[in-house]
Amino acid sequence: MREIVVEPLARVEGEGGITVQIEGSRVKKVRFDILEGTRLIETLVVGKTPEEDVSITCRICAICTISHRYAALRGLEKALGIEIPPKAHWMRSLMHMGEMLESHSLHVFFLALPDFLGYPSAVAMAEKYGEDVLKALELKKFANHIMKMTSGRMIHGENPTVGGFGKYLDHTTLLNIKKQSQKYIPYAERALEILASLEIPDFYEMDTVFMCCEPGNNEFGIVGDQIRISTGEVVDSAEYKKLTNEFFVSHSAAKHCLYKKKPYTVGALARVNNLGERLKGQAGKLYKKYWNKRWLKNPIFNNHAQAIEMVWALEQIPGYVDNILKYKKDPPIVAPARTEGSGVGSVEAPRGTLYHYYQIKDGLVAESNFIIPTGQSLEDIEKYMRKAVENLLSQDADDQTIRYHCEVIARAYDPCISCSTHLVQVEHV
Amino acid sequence: MDNGKKRVGLYGFTGCNGDQLTIIHSEDKLLDFFGSAEIKSFSLAKSDNDNTELDIALVEGSISNQEQAEQVKEIRERTKFLVAIGNCSCYGGIQAMELGGGGWDKRFRAVYGDNFFELRTPIESKPIDVFVHVDFYIPGCPIDADQFFYCFSHFIRDNVPAFPDHPVCAECRWKENDCLLLKGIMCVGPLTASGCGAVCPSHGLPCLGCWGPVDEANVSSEFNLLKEKGFSIEEIKNRFRIHTGSGMMKPLKKILGVL
Repeated sequence: MREIVVEPLARVEGEGGITVQIEGSRVKKVRFDILEGTRLIETLVVGKTPEEDVSITCRICAICTISHRYAALRGLEKALGIEIPPKAHWMRSLMHMGEMLESHSLHVFFLALPDFLGYPSAVAMAEKYGEDVLKALELKKFANHIMKMTSGRMIHGENPTVGGFGKYLDHTTLLNIKKQSQKYIPYAERALEILASLEIPDFYEMDTVFMCCEPGNNEFGIVGDQIRISTGEVVDSAEYKKLTNEFFVSHSAAKHCLYKKKPYTVGALARVNNLGERLKGQAGKLYKKYWNKRWLKNPIFNNHAQAIEMVWALEQIPGYVDNILKYKKDPPIVAPARTEGSGVGSVEAPRGTLYHYYQIKDGLVAESNFIIPTGQSLEDIEKYMRKAVENLLSQDADDQTIRYHCEVIARAYDPCISCSTHLVQVEHV
Repeated sequence: MDNGKKRVGLYGFTGCNGDQLTIIHSEDKLLDFFGSAEIKSFSLAKSDNDNTELDIALVEGSISNQEQAEQVKEIRERTKFLVAIGNCSCYGGIQAMELGGGGWDKRFRAVYGDNFFELRTPIESKPIDVFVHVDFYIPGCPIDADQFFYCFSHFIRDNVPAFPDHPVCAECRWKENDCLLLKGIMCVGPLTASGCGAVCPSHGLPCLGCWGPVDEANVSSEFNLLKEKGFSIEEIKNRFRIHTGSGMMKPLKKILGVL
C-alpha cells in the first residue's frame, strides 16, 4: 500500500495533517486529520457568569477571537433579554470588519499565496514580491489596529462585553480609521489581480452546497439570525442542529457535519456564491469582472472570494464610522432583563458560519454548544481532496504532486484547527 | 551557525495560536525577526521546517495528549534555551482551569462520549514544565508583542532579560484609573502579573487575570477582601482560576483546604 502523510500541515492555524492511502490504482482513504489537543471548553464555561464565558470562549481561537466573542455575545444577550444600543451595534460591526480584514489578509498573502507562487513562506516571497508583501503587511497592520482599538487589544480584547462596551472610541481615532480605510482598497484589489492571473486546476471540480448567514435587506453581510443555503432554503439559525448534524470520526478531534446527508462548504466562497449579486461599489464591480460558474465547483476560489470580501469590508468602514459618530453620548452597559433563558448567536467568522448556543440558569451558564466553521467544511475538504487524488492517480502522478494538491485544497479553506476541536454539545455536567 | 545567528524554532501545542500570531501580527518587526535569527521551524508561517539542533525554542500551548508530551521532550533534547510563551504553555491556560480538582475523565466523556481517538491519546491539559525544564517564561494571553521582542533581543545575544515583577495594579495606577475593587467590582489585578498595560481596567472593566499570577501576590488578602464585599467562595474561586491554570493551585489549596 502506498501512503502519503502530511504532518503537520504547515501554514494553517492549529495542528492538522493529511493522510492519503492508495491500494494499487485505487484510492483507499483520504483523510484530513485533526490532531489538535482537546480542551473541553464547553464543559469549562458551565457555572460561569456570562462575562466570564465571553472571556473564555473568545480564546478558542486567536484568529477568529472577535467572531467567537461576537457569536457568544449575541447568544448570551438573546438568552438574557438584552437589547444593545445602536452605538454598540455599530462598534461591533466595525470590530467585525477589522477581524475579517485581519484574517483574510493573513490567509491570502501569508498562508495561501506562497503555494501558488512556489515559496515556503511569504517572507521568502519578499525577494521577488517585495512591494506586495510590504503592502500586505500594511493592510494587515491596519486591520489589527481596528481590532485593537475596538476590542482593547489585538487578540482577546475584553472591551466588547455583555450589554455593550467598556469604552467607546474617540472621534480622532474613528475618523482616522475612516480615512485610512480607503487607502487600502487597491492593496486588496492587487491580491485579487495576482490570484486571477493564476491557472487554477480544474480536475477536482464538482458541485456542492454553500451555507452562510442571511444578513437581510437584500444586502451583502456577515451577521444574521437566519441561514441561507445555496439550495434556495432560508432557515432560522436557532435550528442550527438540523443544519449541521454533527458526527464523530476517529481521525479527528473535530466533529464532521452534513446537511441533509450532504457535505457543504462555509466561508468567503459560500458568502460570495450565495450573496455576491448584492455586492455594490468596487466590490460589486470586481465580482462582476471575476466571478464565474467555476466558483461554484472549486474551493480554490475561496482565496479570490476572500480578496473580494476585503474590498467589501474596506468599503463598509466609512459608513460604520459615520453611524457610530451619530450618537454623541456613550451608552452605559445594558443590564440583563432576566436570569434564565436560552439563545443562539450566529455570525460569519472569516472562515464561515459560527454558532454559539447558551442556556442560562440563575444568571450562570448551564449549557453551551459551539458549532465551528472548519468542522462544517471538513466533509467537503475530504471530498475535493479525494477527487483530486483519484484524478491524479489516473495520470500516474508522483507522491509530491498528490501531496501538493491536497495541501492546496485544504489550505484554500483557511481551516482553523484550534477552533474546530470544540464543537460538541454538552449536557449539564 | 556560520553567520553567527541563533537557530530558533517556534512550536505550538494546545491553545489558540495567539502567541505565535502576536509575532506574525507584529508587521513592523516581522521581517527583522526573520532576519535576526535562523528561523528553523515555524509551522504557522512557513512550510520549509527543519527539526534540527536549536539555540532557542519558543513553545506555545499546553500539553493535552501523550504525543505532545513526547514531542516537547524531543524538542527539549535538541534545544539549549527553552522559553514558554503564553499562559497555556506557562500555566496550562483556560483549558487547565480545573487542573488538580479531578473530574477530567467525566468532562472528557461529556464532550466526546466513549468515542475512540485513532491518532492521539488525550490527557488532561497541563503546562509544559510538568514535562520538561523551562529556562524562561513569558506569560500573557496572548503575550505582549513589545515584551516578547524585548526578551527575544536579549535571548539572541545570550542575555537573560530582566522582567517586571509587579501586579496589574501598578500599571493601573500609572494610568490613573479609579480602583474597581473600591467600587465593589471583582477585579483580580492585585494577583495578576503586569505587562498588559492594565488594559481592562483602563476600559472600565475588571482584570480577569489573563497574565497569570504575579510572584508574591497576597492571595488570601484579596480572597478575604472579596468575601467581605459579598462574593461567594465559588465566585471567587472561579474568577481566580479561569486564566491561571496551575498558577493558583497552591495558594487556593492553602486557603480552602481543597480545590
